[in-house]
Amino acid sequence: MERSFKTEVESLKLGNGDVFRGEGILAVTKALLQSGVSYVGGYQGAPVSHLLDVMVEAEDLLAELGVHVETCTNEASAAAMLGASINYPLRGAVTWKSIVGTNVAADALSNLSSPGVLGGAMIIIGEDYGEGASVIQERSYAYAMKSSMWLLDPRPDLPTIVRCVEKGFELSEASHAPVMLELRIRACHVTGEFPASDNRSGAASGLNKLEGPPRFDYARLAHPPVTFIQERLKVEERLPAARKFIREQKLNEFVPGDLSDIGIVVMGGLTNSVLRALSRLGLADLYGQSRVPLHVLNVAYPLVPEEVREFCAGKKHVLVVEEGYPDYIEQAINVELRKADIQTRVTGKGPLPNTGEYSSEVLLKGVTAFLAQAKPAGLDTDEIVARSARIFAHMPAAAASLRDLPPRPPTFCTGCPERPVFSAIKLAQREVGPTHISADIGCHAFATFQPFNMGNSILGYGMSLASAAAVGPNMEKRPIAVMGDGGFWHNGVITGVASNLFNKGDGVLIVMQNGYTSATGLQFMPSSKASRAGAAPGMDVEKTLRSLGVTWLRKVRTYSVSTMTKTLKEALRSAEHGLKVIIADGECQLARQRRVRAENAQKLAAGKRVTRTKFGVDDEICTGDHSCIRLSGCPSLTVKPSPDPLRSDPVASVIESCVGCGLCGEVAHAAVLCPSFYRAEVVSNPGWRDRLLFWLRRRIIGLLDPRMDEAAA
Amino acid sequence: MTTSERPLTILIAALGGEGGGVLTGWIVSAADSLGYPVQSTSIPGVAQRTGATTYYIEILPKTRSELGGRRPVFALTPGIGDIDILVASELMEAARAVAAGFVTQERTLTIASSGRFYVMNEKVAMADGRYDQNRLLAAIEKNSQRRIVIDMEALARQHGTMVNAVMLGALAGCGRLPFGPDVLESAIRADGKAVDSNLRGFQAGLAAAREHASAAERPDARRRQPEVADLQDLEDEICAHMPLAAREVVVEGLRRLAAYQDSAYARLYLDRLAPIKAADAQAGKDGALLRETARHLALRMSYEDVIRVAQAKIDPARRHRIERDLGVKPGQPYAIAEFLKPGIEEFCSILPPILARPILAVSKRFGWLDRVHVGMEVQSTAILGYLRFRALAALRPFRRATFRYKEEQASIERWLALVAEGATRSGDLALEIAECARLIKGYGSTHKRGTQNFALIEERVIRPALDGRLPMPRAADAIASARTAALTDPEGETLQSCLAEIDAQPALRIAAE
Repeated sequence: MERSFKTEVESLKLGNGDVFRGEGILAVTKALLQSGVSYVGGYQGAPVSHLLDVMVEAEDLLAELGVHVETCTNEASAAAMLGASINYPLRGAVTWKSIVGTNVAADALSNLSSPGVLGGAMIIIGEDYGEGASVIQERSYAYAMKSSMWLLDPRPDLPTIVRCVEKGFELSEASHAPVMLELRIRACHVTGEFPASDNRSGAASGLNKLEGPPRFDYARLAHPPVTFIQERLKVEERLPAARKFIREQKLNEFVPGDLSDIGIVVMGGLTNSVLRALSRLGLADLYGQSRVPLHVLNVAYPLVPEEVREFCAGKKHVLVVEEGYPDYIEQAINVELRKADIQTRVTGKGPLPNTGEYSSEVLLKGVTAFLAQAKPAGLDTDEIVARSARIFAHMPAAAASLRDLPPRPPTFCTGCPERPVFSAIKLAQREVGPTHISADIGCHAFATFQPFNMGNSILGYGMSLASAAAVGPNMEKRPIAVMGDGGFWHNGVITGVASNLFNKGDGVLIVMQNGYTSATGLQFMPSSKASRAGAAPGMDVEKTLRSLGVTWLRKVRTYSVSTMTKTLKEALRSAEHGLKVIIADGECQLARQRRVRAENAQKLAAGKRVTRTKFGVDDEICTGDHSCIRLSGCPSLTVKPSPDPLRSDPVASVIESCVGCGLCGEVAHAAVLCPSFYRAEVVSNPGWRDRLLFWLRRRIIGLLDPRMDEAAA
Repeated sequence: MTTSERPLTILIAALGGEGGGVLTGWIVSAADSLGYPVQSTSIPGVAQRTGATTYYIEILPKTRSELGGRRPVFALTPGIGDIDILVASELMEAARAVAAGFVTQERTLTIASSGRFYVMNEKVAMADGRYDQNRLLAAIEKNSQRRIVIDMEALARQHGTMVNAVMLGALAGCGRLPFGPDVLESAIRADGKAVDSNLRGFQAGLAAAREHASAAERPDARRRQPEVADLQDLEDEICAHMPLAAREVVVEGLRRLAAYQDSAYARLYLDRLAPIKAADAQAGKDGALLRETARHLALRMSYEDVIRVAQAKIDPARRHRIERDLGVKPGQPYAIAEFLKPGIEEFCSILPPILARPILAVSKRFGWLDRVHVGMEVQSTAILGYLRFRALAALRPFRRATFRYKEEQASIERWLALVAEGATRSGDLALEIAECARLIKGYGSTHKRGTQNFALIEERVIRPALDGRLPMPRAADAIASARTAALTDPEGETLQSCLAEIDAQPALRIAAE
């Protein structure tokens, strides 16, 4: 894994009387243990990766509690875990990144929510929405509605988050339905504290195993004809039971305010932002007291009709703060009030935008617009509007003065083994011409940015090859599908490879074999060289492909740009029909550096020989065309002012962070660039042979050019 | 209800991988150690891989007993105009926070590094794509209440530490935190990782912020040619006769060419400039035309051939530089391998024309030119490798007899003639023509592409301009646009569409008449 969670693991051990300090997603992890889960599963992805990462490191603690941890190969297998355990008094939780993970899990989710839950089932989803998100912008809300799962959206405050996890299990059991708990990106990473409680073992767990299954009961299967009964149960029994529990346990919150003819209904996760907006308008204080009454929906679905009616009754105008589209909550509130014949005006989308994250700026403007519209009694709304305008007064000029600021998207790390593959594709395309490139999810998706700008389509994780199936037969040139080994095991091997072979398809597939799911934080996967248990899981991409029947298969070291270019050209031009797979082999450089740095530090300390490699550009030979950068894009290959007083264009330069991966040299050769690149190797703790050879060379060259000798001095 | 009370807000702008998360952790644990409520949020996600990223911290400097059980509600996102302190590890990222509206004159203290970590758009440009640094500085200056701009990157390197420690130090020294530097220092110690180097960085940042240092100018890294005794007469002549604006450049060019070839070659340089000097005076350019032409002429006359590259590779000064960059200790063994991939053209460039022409003709016919190259890694620190470069560098006296020399000189003369002819129409036009020499640079395909683009612009824009087919103020603009277009994309698409536009315009004008 990318980082160690030693301190975090320690905080999972806290008990009654202790104060837990840490980030939101770890508070959730602790809350799961306090709730007595029997197992935890999931698939990693920002912003919830840390939940599983910590669990994996907390092996000893979990063994004590009898908690099983499953690092699933995809979200469907994680959701499927819940699908069987719901028939037992087992509490379980799974986690993934949403919307995408929920999409992958959808089949299992429908199935598990139909028969109903015995032991509490919880799905922790990282709602990857807004700034920093890396997936399609959709709401997970629709899944909760269609499958009758309840959606918790706790106020981003650690005690509330923890309470929602604990109460969420009770809700699940009380209403016999699965519960989803969503945390937005910043809520996952928010830091804070809450009073810890003791961890609990599940009623049944690894320590106290179930004896066996209960008697056969057809009603517990998501299978006709009982599915028709289950449909009724979901709506007629579980939904009312859930509403009763939510109301009784006061999961939603009400904040009173003196401006009682208006109010704001806000999704729990947005509460802090709304309070801050009100505070900046002079309508709330720093401690959550507000002049505008608030109804905080820590449970986003289902709404509790009684609560809505009670809050809205007597108000002339209510604002619904609901992020994303469609406006499910706003619609539901409108319907509820209409049915109850309550004449409160409901506004949401309008003063607030239909789409996009509700940042502080958006909320401040939205709340101002609402107040101006609603004109509550006892408030000078003109003053509020003026106050809001003052806050934004400086913005237009500041933005205008820097209008053309170039973006800084993420990119491949220094020395990344995947970058050279795209250098090779660029070079191969120069000769073969452009062809459709099916991009995929993973670090390699960074190739869609400068300097590669590659990818004519990008689909879900592991779906690049499958998506090329429609393009290949209809295009003169073979498409290239790029897939990581993470995506391969996530589902690419079935959706892509098996489907292609089954249909006697054609095309080129590049599998990036870097040994980890790197983009999510360096987790192990089936073909990693190691696992959390230590030994390699033993699955192999190449063997798997061969066993499936792939005949055209080449394994190329990613840094060998010339060989890769040649192999690609061969794959693209070959007259042979059929799938051509190139395994681009190179260990994730982040993982490698972590290992090598530690090893080298040890060797240096022990006085053993260590060679450090760094590339460089001769700034007197470089003329500042930057072809090399356009073919590499390495963060450590940059530009600097030319040392030549007559030149104005900056020259290329390799900075300190270079890890000596060798790509610069490979590209200089493969693309026939300029003679500026050099590789320097410095030996620390040299042996006598190193010293002798170096001394000899130095002396002889010094004789040929005495000025060189001065350098030695 | 008091609505005016607000927490101290800190926005950290950094790049993925710089340790912004660790920095945030230090600040949070410092506030925590005093019992102050504190909250941080971040959006690491995909931004972790050298992309722009931000961290946001709110601190309420009140202890629990002062609060009496009340808990503040902190915001998760930074507010427009609501930031007390902005700390940015990079100048453009500081400006990005300004552009987003977070920074205001009423409230914000901006602590930024003067260093730049160029974004890809700036780096991939075929010429100079760097964003104007002064615009970044001006925006920060104009929008902040106060600013501390220091070269954090340089401080980090100097003290062998990461930039986040320097940022923390600068924050500690800014005078706006509700606790002293000692609290932050303890946070580093409590963290227990790389404590020594982090403390070094911390102290450096602290000192720099306290000195209120606005960024020290980076030393001028330009390497000027050393004075040469032989050239004294010529230099005196330049000082006596050349316009002031051009003197420095002409002297530099003179020394450069003497070193590149010999003093006769340097003399040729001055001879070639004589008509330009006259044209400059006539067009009233006050030396501007002469200066730019002299600059490009010196570069063109010291074209990058095999001999020059070999000379540069075994230059002792270069060895010194590399040793310094690598930080090798005296006597520490190191090796340098040079990546070269010469082809038929490089080989022919050092042959006499009589041999080179037929070889090139045959190679072209069989399509070998782009395909036949010999990739090699030559160890310039090893004896045989050194000797190979030395042998090539030794060809210098014979340069005038080589094929490449003849080609280059003819091309230079043609360009100079265009400049001189342009000056008879307008000084601006001549200046734009002179600037077009910028296109011709580099090696192999880059050089070829530049030469072709120049030829294209000559034929489609310069020639029509000189023949009066393009009206005057627009002609100079057209050349400038075509030159910019040629440097926009290596595939030449922008240049083609730019030329098409230029072609279309006079036609429109005629049609309108």
